[in-house]
Amino acid sequence: MKTPIETRQLPMPNDAPKRIEYSTCYMCACRCGIKVTFEGAKLRFIQGNRDHPVNRGVLCAKGSAGIMKQLSPAKLTKPLKRRAGTERGAGIFDEIEWDEALAIVEARLRKIRDTDPRKLAFFTGRDQMQALTGLWAQQYGTPNWAAHGGFCSVNMAAAGLYTIGYSFWEFGAPDWDQTRYFVLWGVAEDHASNPIKIGLDKLKRRGAKFVSINPVRTGYSAIADEWIAVRPGTDGLLALAIVNVLLTDGTIDYAFLARYTNAPWLVICDPGAADDGLFARDHERRPIVHDEVGGTLTGAVTFDTKPALFGTFTLADGRLAKTSLSLAAERYLNPQYAPENVAARCGVDAATIRRLAREMAKVAFEETITLPIEWTDAWGHVHDSVTGRPVAMYAMRGISAHSNGFHTCRALHFVQMLLGALDGPGNFRARAPFPKPAPPRQLPATAPAHPRAPLAGSPLGFPMRPEDLAIDADGTPKRIDKAFSWQAPLAAHGMMHMVIANAVAGDPYPIDTLMLFMANMAWNSSMNTAGTRDMLRAKDANGEYRIPFIIVADAFRSETVGFADLVLPDTTYLERYDAISLLDRPISEADTIADAIRHPLMPPDRDVRPWQDVLVELASRLGFSAFVNPNGTRKFADYRDFIVRYEKSPGIGFLGGWRGADGKSALVGAPNPRQWEAYIANKSFFEFHLPPALQYYRFANRRYLEFAKKAGFIADIEPIVMQIWSEPLQTFRLAGLQQYAGPRPADAADRERLVKYFDPLPFWYPPLESQDRADDAYPLHAITQRPMVMYHSWDSQNAWLRQIIADNYLYMNVQTAAAAGLADEDWIWVESAHSRLRCRLKTMQGCEPNTVWTWNAIAKQPGAWGLAADAPEATTAFLLNHLIAEHLPGGAGKFSNSDPVTGQAAWFDLRVRVTKCAAGESGVSPAIESLPVQDAPARLRWGNP
Amino acid sequence: MHAALSVILFTVLSGMGLGAFAIVAADELARTFSARADALAPWNVAGAIALALVIAGLCFSTLHLANPKNAWRSAARFRTSWLSREAVFAVAFLATAAAFLGARWMGVAAGARVVLAVLTVGLAWVVIVCTAMIYASLKPIRAWHTWRVPLNYLLLAHASGAVLIVAILDGTAIAMQPLRMLAAGLLLVAALAKWEYRRYLAGDQRRVTLESALGVAHGVRGAGAPATVAARLLDVGHSRGTFLTREFVVTPTPVRQQAAVIAMWLGVYVLQLLWLWQGTRNPIAAALAIVVLLSGLLAERWLFFVEARHTVRLYHGERRV
Amino acid sequence: MKLGLVIDLDTCVGCHACATACKEWNGASAISGPLTDDSPYGADPTGVWFNRVRHYEVGEFPGCKTINFPMSCLHCEDAACVSVCPTGASYKREDGIVLVDQDRCMGCNLCAWACPYGARELDPASGTMKKCTLCVDRIYDQSLPVEEREPACVLACPTHARHFGDFDDPQSKVSQLTASRNGFGLLGELDYKPVNRYLPPRTPPQAASPAPAVASEGALARLIARARAAITG
Ligand SMILES: Nc1nc2c(c(=O)[nH]1)N[C@H]1C(S)=C(S)[C@@H](COP(=O)(O)OP(=O)(O)OC[C@H]3O[C@@H](n4cnc5c(=O)[nH]c(N)nc54)[C@H](O)[C@@H]3O)O[C@H]1N2
Ligand SMILES: Nc1nc2c(c(=O)[nH]1)N[C@H]1C(S)=C(S)[C@@H](COP(=O)(O)OP(=O)(O)OC[C@H]3O[C@@H](n4cnc5c(=O)[nH]c(N)nc54)[C@H](O)[C@@H]3O)O[C@H]1N2
Ligand code: SF4
Ligand code: SF4
Ligand code: SF4
Ligand code: SF4
Ligand code: SF4
Ligand SMILES: [Mo]
Repeated sequence: MKTPIETRQLPMPNDAPKRIEYSTCYMCACRCGIKVTFEGAKLRFIQGNRDHPVNRGVLCAKGSAGIMKQLSPAKLTKPLKRRAGTERGAGIFDEIEWDEALAIVEARLRKIRDTDPRKLAFFTGRDQMQALTGLWAQQYGTPNWAAHGGFCSVNMAAAGLYTIGYSFWEFGAPDWDQTRYFVLWGVAEDHASNPIKIGLDKLKRRGAKFVSINPVRTGYSAIADEWIAVRPGTDGLLALAIVNVLLTDGTIDYAFLARYTNAPWLVICDPGAADDGLFARDHERRPIVHDEVGGTLTGAVTFDTKPALFGTFTLADGRLAKTSLSLAAERYLNPQYAPENVAARCGVDAATIRRLAREMAKVAFEETITLPIEWTDAWGHVHDSVTGRPVAMYAMRGISAHSNGFHTCRALHFVQMLLGALDGPGNFRARAPFPKPAPPRQLPATAPAHPRAPLAGSPLGFPMRPEDLAIDADGTPKRIDKAFSWQAPLAAHGMMHMVIANAVAGDPYPIDTLMLFMANMAWNSSMNTAGTRDMLRAKDANGEYRIPFIIVADAFRSETVGFADLVLPDTTYLERYDAISLLDRPISEADTIADAIRHPLMPPDRDVRPWQDVLVELASRLGFSAFVNPNGTRKFADYRDFIVRYEKSPGIGFLGGWRGADGKSALVGAPNPRQWEAYIANKSFFEFHLPPALQYYRFANRRYLEFAKKAGFIADIEPIVMQIWSEPLQTFRLAGLQQYAGPRPADAADRERLVKYFDPLPFWYPPLESQDRADDAYPLHAITQRPMVMYHSWDSQNAWLRQIIADNYLYMNVQTAAAAGLADEDWIWVESAHSRLRCRLKTMQGCEPNTVWTWNAIAKQPGAWGLAADAPEATTAFLLNHLIAEHLPGGAGKFSNSDPVTGQAAWFDLRVRVTKCAAGESGVSPAIESLPVQDAPARLRWGNP
Repeated sequence: MHAALSVILFTVLSGMGLGAFAIVAADELARTFSARADALAPWNVAGAIALALVIAGLCFSTLHLANPKNAWRSAARFRTSWLSREAVFAVAFLATAAAFLGARWMGVAAGARVVLAVLTVGLAWVVIVCTAMIYASLKPIRAWHTWRVPLNYLLLAHASGAVLIVAILDGTAIAMQPLRMLAAGLLLVAALAKWEYRRYLAGDQRRVTLESALGVAHGVRGAGAPATVAARLLDVGHSRGTFLTREFVVTPTPVRQQAAVIAMWLGVYVLQLLWLWQGTRNPIAAALAIVVLLSGLLAERWLFFVEARHTVRLYHGERRV
Repeated sequence: MKLGLVIDLDTCVGCHACATACKEWNGASAISGPLTDDSPYGADPTGVWFNRVRHYEVGEFPGCKTINFPMSCLHCEDAACVSVCPTGASYKREDGIVLVDQDRCMGCNLCAWACPYGARELDPASGTMKKCTLCVDRIYDQSLPVEEREPACVLACPTHARHFGDFDDPQSKVSQLTASRNGFGLLGELDYKPVNRYLPPRTPPQAASPAPAVASEGALARLIARARAAITG
């Protein structure tokens, strides 16, 4: 029976005048463009900006719930000072005025700067303004600055930048429009949150194959055409088995390897010598290759050189040398890398590994794309077309958050090189300002010449050899986090996760003030969370806090705010100016160079200030050279003014759009006083489309390289050669072997690690935590995933999003659970070698049998985030971080639980055992004390006219 | 389904009242066509009590509305909505029933009384059926979408009504045997119907599976895909309750369910039959019988709701409903 | 007209964007907003949603498939939710959209009981029943740019798994997709004739026919030979 039809008058919509503004979302780091509609003064609707290069009009769950973030009861409202007599961490504060707050900070920071600037440690979390905070730290003169990279995904950045000149994470993207075969390694959500979703849809429409390699089948993996349930920490082995198949079949891109990689470079084979394993170079320090045509050894490689990919040759000095690729082939053809011999360990059968390798080879070499685009290579040779081997890969924290992630990521890049599948049509492609030389020519600056002077450069960089480390003559680390020390030589993004532990231990030295911006270090961003919280409260013999002063700049009542001595309340993303700069993590896509802004859409209803303005204010008061005129007067009125007028180098500032006095030049040009207005008029972003001739093979695309030099992306116009054999790694290995003519570690344990882990070729080793313990003691791998609707700790305050996830379980494979006599909803003990916690279990099919997992950062401290003390987040949800130790068992706390090469936090190395709770045992443990609970509405009727 | 006390009280009380009143009206007919001449007054009292029960029930029903100020609109969809029909006929019933009682009181001419009696009986039955059809018309609830529901409602209304009348007239001079027989008879038939209904509930007829609810009954990939595969809920998409879980995903604890089943069989059927069978006149026993009957009926009606499984439960993880 | 949605289970990653975008648009909509949230920061967060995304698994490890499953009103042709409504608050429009007239609803829940799909939710504050409006106040709004006259959930969906259109028009995107991808309706056995259609996951592209096994012996020699040929040849 069809339902009868009726016609009725609909209620009249709100007729208040509409105001439409464009800005950039900040509910996560993806930085999508948003279109914001106001009805009168009321925030009505936030949607995607259709023109924006990042999200092309779509918006994720978090972005669409931005209004609830704006309404959060956890918003900070005034500067806060820890009440005299109350303990740090109790979260009891007195509200103070901004004048007083700034005066306190200024006095303290000035004193430190005048005496020992290292004693200020300034660390920032998942923020989007490292260009400014980095500049600020450098100008202050402290080496103790870094952002979240060290505990996030520096393994991807370092492996990529040392190997191919760009990288996974925010420095490259798959060619969604042209790839025919896409392999996703260890990604649940990523920063390119919307771009990946948009891209996966494109793949599916085109019928390209999508393979997801992931122990858990949710989210992206749910829609994969093929799901490979790899065992955590074994991807490196899987990738090298794929290499083994490609080499055995001989299905590799010989020309690509010969021209664009260091495959033909000759490596000195002189065991025991100081230069063993380094490249043989000519008098101009150019690496030598063997020219197959002339049969000569030469450093002068031209377009016509036909370098031998394989072979052993005798150098002028009579010593033997082999090509990089010979050394690689000899290693990976070894049966230990044959699919049959890795299958059991990876949990992937040999036939599948072979098929994957061959499917990639088939697509790369039989479904080759040719585009009629004329381009000029680095040697000036003009090609009338661009070829693409349409296999693309993308990888993130499933790879990086393991202590073998650096080498695993290098192995992935090696597969891409063998297939000739980099930065061509259909490949994983660079996002401007990348590619840069592998690695970028920037060394970590460590100390100012004298107090009150800036550091020579950024505190972070890319060491090429032991001389570049941040250590004293006796090997003592110069940085509080021990980045660029023998324990983590290539810690290119610092090691934020070690700052608190080291500072409290006074190792390598005590600090005075810890300044945290946008980092929830007292909770989800630390390992050993309960222990870290005790450290933050730890006092010395005479009752002084071991970290004397903690400044927290946050917008909301996080767990870390509770530990602050001074809280500087920030604005929200709808209330301030922001520059999403090319000097920072780019939002560029492969074909378009882009940056963007935020601008105030509504006035703050609280006594808060944009942190950017606060930084500029402090920089001016403290007289940083870049922020004051020669006569000492302040240069910039505020952040808005700074962004317009500051120039990193002539013509290059934070924003690339509408430069030049007339606003007509792109990327480079004099400051434009009306630049903000220009951005706002253009929907708050700037886009520069690369002409086709500049879009591909940019590592060796002459006209692109020339363009990139002009734009200030790179220093000189030279081909960027991809590094199969990594000389920087070898120099550190030589130091470990005591052969290196330069700094060498005194400690045997350091030497051993260098020898073992600084292999110049990608290799696989079991994650460190697994090495020290028999598998059966802690049989399960324990990992986390990003929920698509939550951004780390800060969406539990969102009234809509928390209805979707306010609680988490430990997920386990159905069969594994059955075998252990466990069932859904059971309360269980999850025990690691470090600690144990209590939570509830859920079973699922789509989970690798040796793996358990949960959603990241769902649990909250009672009273934090404006939530009631009995909120699920505080009563039944659990934080896996409690189980993760910040130090490795061996080495007496000397080595952090990180990748030995980059210092990347090894979150996913965690091994656990799971047992059923005794009858009656329930509720989360460890229990965390409550912060003062804020009053929040019992009912929301948002939108009520 | 969530069992709202207001709805339980409504259906139980109005059902009993309607059943009882139907019998009172039927008695009127019996008198006209037989030579019976026992006192009218006690019967009228019974009728008045029955009417009161119906009114009480209807009052309870409005407590179930989240927005009662619009209750007056509830007759609007008479053409399609059993709830509209129930509302309309309930009012009609109240009017005729009142008229009928009045007529008897004032000793109006027999002819008019008969007409009113016939009307009242008819309306009582229609109202009972409308109430039952509100549930029986709901396809998503297998336990309700069956002819068994109106049948059980009719039988229980009359059986409980008959018991009520026996209890009321128990203290009078009226000859009780035939009434006891009637009540017992109705109870036995009702018990039979209930037993058959519960067999249906336990059985497999017209069950719906999660796989068909998700459209994967023939494999995930639609046409020409692998054979049937089992589906299971991974995550329901909300951490705490929703309107749907509160309304549809309530499951009684086995203990309470068993207790209710026993209370129903004893309270509504067994004990009543015993009481009717033992025949001695005792006002306390009579009152007790009604209390026991009501509690039995409350248990019966509670089960009617909590044992009913809505298809929405499939989407919340139940494999079959 | 028969307006409705197509939801593509092949690309839905279960991100809940459609659900929150829906809450955002309709919360402040004159049709049936606000959508009350109770205990928003408390122990039992709950609220009125028109669109909920659930997640299921089909089959067994390792052959299992995870399916993300968004559900909102399917705007049935035989909408019992409307016929059972005593007050006439629930009604079906000429364009097929099923709506609840907030001024007439008495909050009896009967329509919610009559809906097999759980598409209706009672707002405890207004005491009225609420449901997906198919964003009737967007799709006809002349003041919006043409390309934005679409439901909020469709605009937001990052994988473009949601499509809006007229199923009576065989040329419409929704009709075409339904035809070409075997779109199906839910719970056909109940015969509500739901308008919304779901597209089943696509059959994966054909895998490469694995090349014949290659002996690992002499691999290096072969490689060197091929390399020389490739470089010099
Ligand atoms: N919604 C949302 N988006 C976010 C964030 C958020 O909190 N919420 N955070 C942002 C940040 S800071 C970051 S760093 C990115 C991170 O984005 P992702 O890289 O997606 O980070 P994770 O969610 O940790 O995903 C790790 C994935 O790797 C898998 N995995 C774990 N171990 C292994 C392994 O050994 N091998 C393989 N192959 N897979 C493995 C896990 O199952 C999981 O699916 O996301 C960013 N985007
Ligand atoms: N177990 C486990 N732990 C992990 C991870 C994991 O995968 N598993 N992931 C790790 C990774 S990759 C990362 S990046 C870290 C997350 O690293 P963090 O960035 O430390 O974590 P968040 O929770 O994002 O904390 C950000 C803080 O910024 C504040 N904030 C938000 N908006 C603003 C604003 O506009 N202004 C200011 N001033 N503050 C603001 C929030 O209130 C919050 O306190 O977590 C790490 N921890
Ligand atoms: S992905 Fe979502 S939260 Fe992140 S910026 Fe884009 S819209 Fe905002
Ligand atoms: S927004 Fe799209 S992808 Fe995300 S849950 Fe909804 S339908 Fe699925
Ligand atoms: S889905 Fe439910 S509410 Fe929507 S029309 Fe169908 S029956 Fe009615
Ligand atoms: S709740 Fe409202 S809309 Fe639903 S049936 Fe009752 S009156 Fe009609
Ligand atoms: S069509 Fe509109 S109302 Fe319906 S689910 Fe989508 S957004 Fe919500
Ligand atoms: Mo991160």
